[in-house]
Amino acid sequence: MPDNDTTPAPQPNPHFHEPLNQPRALRLGVAGPVGTGKSSILATLCRELAGELSMAVVTNDIYTDEDARFLRSAGVLPTERIRAVETGACPHTAIRDDVSANLDAVEDLEEAYGPLDLVLIESGGDNLTATFSPALADAQLFCIDVAGGGDVARKGGPGITGADLLIINKTDLAPYVEVDVAAMVADAEAARGGLPVLALSRKDPASVAELADWVRALLARHRAGSHVPTDPGPMAPHSHS
Amino acid sequence: MASLASLLLGDGRLPVGAYTYSAGLEPAVAAGLTRDRIPALLRARLHTTAVTEAAAAVLALRAAGQDPADYGPVQHALTARTPAAPQREASAALGRGVHRLARRLAPDHPAVTALAALRPRPLRPVALGALGAVLKVSEEELAHAVVYDELQTIASAALKLLPGDPLDSVAWILAAEPDAARAVTAALAVPGPDRLPARTAPLTEQWALEHARRERRLFLA
Ligand SMILES: Nc1nc2c(ncn2[C@@H]2O[C@H](COP(=O)(O)OP(=O)(O)OP(=O)(O)O)[C@@H](O)[C@H]2O)c(=O)[nH]1
Ligand SMILES: [Mg+2]
Repeated sequence: MPDNDTTPAPQPNPHFHEPLNQPRALRLGVAGPVGTGKSSILATLCRELAGELSMAVVTNDIYTDEDARFLRSAGVLPTERIRAVETGACPHTAIRDDVSANLDAVEDLEEAYGPLDLVLIESGGDNLTATFSPALADAQLFCIDVAGGGDVARKGGPGITGADLLIINKTDLAPYVEVDVAAMVADAEAARGGLPVLALSRKDPASVAELADWVRALLARHRAGSHVPTDPGPMAPHSHS
Repeated sequence: MASLASLLLGDGRLPVGAYTYSAGLEPAVAAGLTRDRIPALLRARLHTTAVTEAAAAVLALRAAGQDPADYGPVQHALTARTPAAPQREASAALGRGVHRLARRLAPDHPAVTALAALRPRPLRPVALGALGAVLKVSEEELAHAVVYDELQTIASAALKLLPGDPLDSVAWILAAEPDAARAVTAALAVPGPDRLPARTAPLTEQWALEHARRERRLFLA
């Protein structure tokens, strides 16, 4: 019998399935405040990439499965590849402090339809502080939109400053809400110290293509073993002057 | 000796997915349970399912100490005493989180490797027995943790389902102490899986079945 030493056992490289030693699917989280367009981005990515990649989707909702249903009805992926996780009204916990339910869903999908290339995980729409733990997502998009106001990017928060890609969504609405997209992008870039920012609208095919290319490039880095998951972490230091 | 370990077992912050579970409270609330009846629900659980689950965890801990560890009989007995499918599914989902933690702490421990062979997946008390073996807790500590967790799960889910003063829930739990102690004693006295008490509660089962078909719920059971 092993003694009572419960220091964590050395971990197998989480990027590889054990016996096969094949890279497992890239797990890409999509976070951001309520209604900014996360589900729509998932639908867009499925539409763009499902022809070339084996994909699956996990959604997190405060209530059972609204997002999963939206995605199933969008017809962008076979419905059984879209799973909803119940989060006990703690959407931020489910993607960060205790990712058990999400890991179960991802593992079930891999078991049923694997090998998969890409698993997209939508967080429950929460606030600016909710980000994915690297224990669940290899990389994450953080999605804000122009309708939330031009100041959001400057206000910051871990998702805005540290996500692998920041999306400023619904740029087609900018004229109606009097937001200067270029200025919002510049604010975001200043807050992110070189991490990428993408101004997106589902009505702007060039921006959609850019998003799909970013995911393809990330997947290539994941497969090559050169992508290191990073945690956007807690709120960036800020001052109240 | 293993005092931190036994506290960990009863800590709702243990990252094993338990926050998705209301231990039957959400189904009960949907069926009309009001806040003033929560202490009665706690007592009802302590007289029924909590005894069965704590006993099953203790039996699994005993099985974990055998060579080879065989959880088959206790898993089988517990499955037979959990007649509502949604309750079995919830237990298996929660057991999976506990199993993941046990694997992380001691992947080669015989008590943990024996869990992997179980199909269908280990129910939560069975996985807790294996984790208890890894953490070297006593039977009594394990039974206490299972019973306490049941109370705390309901009390904290109540904050979302029937909101009120959070301090109330501490008082509810302390008031349930005599029933909790009896549940632990009853669980420890079970000699083997064939004698696992079938403390089923038909109304909770009915509620669990209704809950499984309900939309817009917060908790899996
Ligand atoms: N004009 C415009 N509307 C968009 C765009 N993307 C999404 N929307 C709309 O924004 C609303 C919210 O989109 P969702 O994709 O459901 O947003 P979400 O972030 O998933 O929402 P929650 O899951 O509820 O937090 C819907 O009405 C979408 O049609 C876009 O590029 N342009
Ligand atoms: Mg959504």
